[in-house]
Amino acid sequence: MQSNKRRHGSEYLSLLTRYGIYVVFVLLLIAFSLVNSRFLTIANILLILQQASPLGIAVVGMVFVLLVVGIDISVGRSMFFISTLVGYLVTTTHLIPEAYFADARGLCLVLGIVLTLGCAVGYINGVLVTRFCILPFIVTLATGSILRGLGLKLSGSASINVSVLGGLSNGRLGPVPYVLIIFILVLIVFDYVLRHTAYGRHLLAIGDSPGNAERTGIKVNRNIIIAYMVCGGLGALGGILSAGQIGSVAAGFGEGNEFIVISAAVLGGTSLFGGKGNIIPGAIIGILLITTIMNGLAMMNASPFLYTIVRGVIIFFAIALDSMQHKGELR
Amino acid sequence: MSDIVLNIRNVRKSFTGVQVLHGLNFDLKKGEVLGLIGENGAGKSTLMNIIGGVLPMDSGSMELAGEPYAPRSPLVATEMGIAFIHQELNLFTNLTVAENLFIDCFPKNRVGAIDRKKMRRLSEVCMDRFSLPVTPDTKVRSLPTGIRQMVEISKGLMKNARIMIFDEPTTSLSRREKEDLFKTIDDLKDKGISIIYISHILEDVFRLCDRITVLRDGRIIETKATTEFSESELIKCMVGREMTQVFPSIEKEIQDTVLLDAKNIRCADKVKGVSLSLKAGEIVGLYGLMGAGRTDLAKVLFGVQPMDEGEVTLHSRKHSHLNPEVCIKQDVAFITEDRHHEGLLMTKSIDENLSLVKMSRLSNRIGVVDVKEKEKHNLKAIKDLKIKVSDYRHQLANSLSGGNQQKVVFGKWVMNDPKIFILDEPTRGVDVGAKFEIYSIIIDLAKSGSAVLFISSEIEELIGTCDRILVMKDGRVTGDIPKSEYDREKILQLALLGK
Repeated sequence: MQSNKRRHGSEYLSLLTRYGIYVVFVLLLIAFSLVNSRFLTIANILLILQQASPLGIAVVGMVFVLLVVGIDISVGRSMFFISTLVGYLVTTTHLIPEAYFADARGLCLVLGIVLTLGCAVGYINGVLVTRFCILPFIVTLATGSILRGLGLKLSGSASINVSVLGGLSNGRLGPVPYVLIIFILVLIVFDYVLRHTAYGRHLLAIGDSPGNAERTGIKVNRNIIIAYMVCGGLGALGGILSAGQIGSVAAGFGEGNEFIVISAAVLGGTSLFGGKGNIIPGAIIGILLITTIMNGLAMMNASPFLYTIVRGVIIFFAIALDSMQHKGELR
Repeated sequence: MSDIVLNIRNVRKSFTGVQVLHGLNFDLKKGEVLGLIGENGAGKSTLMNIIGGVLPMDSGSMELAGEPYAPRSPLVATEMGIAFIHQELNLFTNLTVAENLFIDCFPKNRVGAIDRKKMRRLSEVCMDRFSLPVTPDTKVRSLPTGIRQMVEISKGLMKNARIMIFDEPTTSLSRREKEDLFKTIDDLKDKGISIIYISHILEDVFRLCDRITVLRDGRIIETKATTEFSESELIKCMVGREMTQVFPSIEKEIQDTVLLDAKNIRCADKVKGVSLSLKAGEIVGLYGLMGAGRTDLAKVLFGVQPMDEGEVTLHSRKHSHLNPEVCIKQDVAFITEDRHHEGLLMTKSIDENLSLVKMSRLSNRIGVVDVKEKEKHNLKAIKDLKIKVSDYRHQLANSLSGGNQQKVVFGKWVMNDPKIFILDEPTRGVDVGAKFEIYSIIIDLAKSGSAVLFISSEIEELIGTCDRILVMKDGRVTGDIPKSEYDREKILQLALLGK
């Protein structure tokens, strides 16, 4: 009878991984709303959505990389470097005149630079991973370190003002934050790419078995590089929007964001072992859960130091659930 | 029937200076099934990989339906109508059947996305040909191996394959699935598709093929119509030496001491009350079809799977719970059917693999390994088991042939001087010559007083080596046949019908 019990155990486990997060999310909403009556108000919900959107955009990119058994831990530091560079161009050197921001020129220019640079960082990561066969974790650890160094060199570790971006990051169309609209667009577009294009299906195939994919004629390396570029580009976009929300880029900006992004993806059902993952609803619920916890803790006036502890515990549980399903299978 | 689809002239191939194919000439007719047999390392895979575009040839020429043919990649070969059904299927388990069929040629709509409706319709047409009991939207993960193979064949047909290469397609199929596959192959043949069928199972080759080509040491030894070959002649061609007797005859004695006695073992719905006992010096065969619960029983006896009920007596000590550690201490050895994943550390040296089990007995109280002692034992195992290695300290396990790999697996256990051996398909994926050596090892073990439980799907090898044969069906033992009453038909009947 023992093995019967065990089989039920694994069924519970898969149920837990599939729906557990929704239960936890609802329980959290109830708990926070009991503690603080202002928590479950429309204003606060919109605030949570506004806070969640920038990193949510980065989560979408991370799902792409995780699908092909990759990981990008340079994303937080890439956010720091690219936002610092934008601040440097706009505030420190005025290479992009402030007058440009009176109309759409400034924003277009900034977003163009951000996306190009983000994709470039992703390209480098992708090439190092595929052509040089270095472990993704090590590659992105190294590029992240380089990017952080470059950023600190630019800023001299001082805080750089990027308040010109506040209009986009904190602005709203009626009650709806612009960033939320961007997040939703990103979700729709990339979910479609993943589910309904040959590229998306090929990513899943590569995640399932790179060798088979190669033999089937799928351009494995190219597809993986593109996945890293998507991750880099969306990460940079999320980063600059996040910087705009704060109004300045401090020396510690972006640190730890990679862990929020990765754990949100994993919480949403994307596997670190590749070949399994989704954007709608996974990426949404993942980032919402984490942001809600942060928001709820803030409303309880919890110590800011508690945040990283809570974050660590969440990552631990999410990844433990993922790994238990794979029973220690290593790649 | 007589027109030639594939014509190979004087193909040569060498790897790092070692000539693997010595100028092969070979042709394949339209609508025929050509059996390709040969020992492991005879060059079968290399030849097929050249035809399939995985490897380039060094010199020689190939013609496909009269046109010069030199595929640069597997993809080109596929486009030219050559489908290669590998032992490990080329399917993505996390995608649906339809997605797998169209993975490299998704039908697209106006915006360049996948046209799911069209894809579903086309897949249904394709699957109807085999009346597969699946819908296009089923995830491959949830399908049994036999059906997965049909999906793979459908994929080949969709590409208008003219030639299909099957590499050991039946290793993971049940008997029913195997019958279905053979029916499919006959259908393919009727459609005018030529088939190259590679297998170690002579029975299947004889049953299925029109002609048989025997390959040895990179040369074609003989190609004849199946009807002109006899089984012994074929084996003779394969090994290149007279093999009057396929099984070693070594005199041994069965003692009265019972080393392992299992009573009424149950494990989930796989093993339903099995009792058996092994005496010192006895080799007991265990035959059963796929899914009969043989492997599960073996795993229970070695404590890998917990038993729900029952009792195992090892050396007159009773156990109702077993784990591998206890079993190893009680001198039990288990040789798994899954050599690649469970039997060997493929990317480690032969040296390390050999001393794996013995390690704890070779180390002193604080856990430091006695290197000299280890070396002595390793060399002895290599010599006793005739393992062919060039440098056992640095050569990796995955560089050995199947037979030698299996010998290393034996070696690591034998070094521990176990008294009870549980062997699960020890000759799977091993060539004829090495099989013989493995039989000798098994019989020698029994001769030295060990008890052996020999699980196999090949009736012949059980008849050739065992003192009695147990037959399993649906988790129960349906027959216990003494040596004097061996009868292939009876054994198969017990396995199929249980009576």
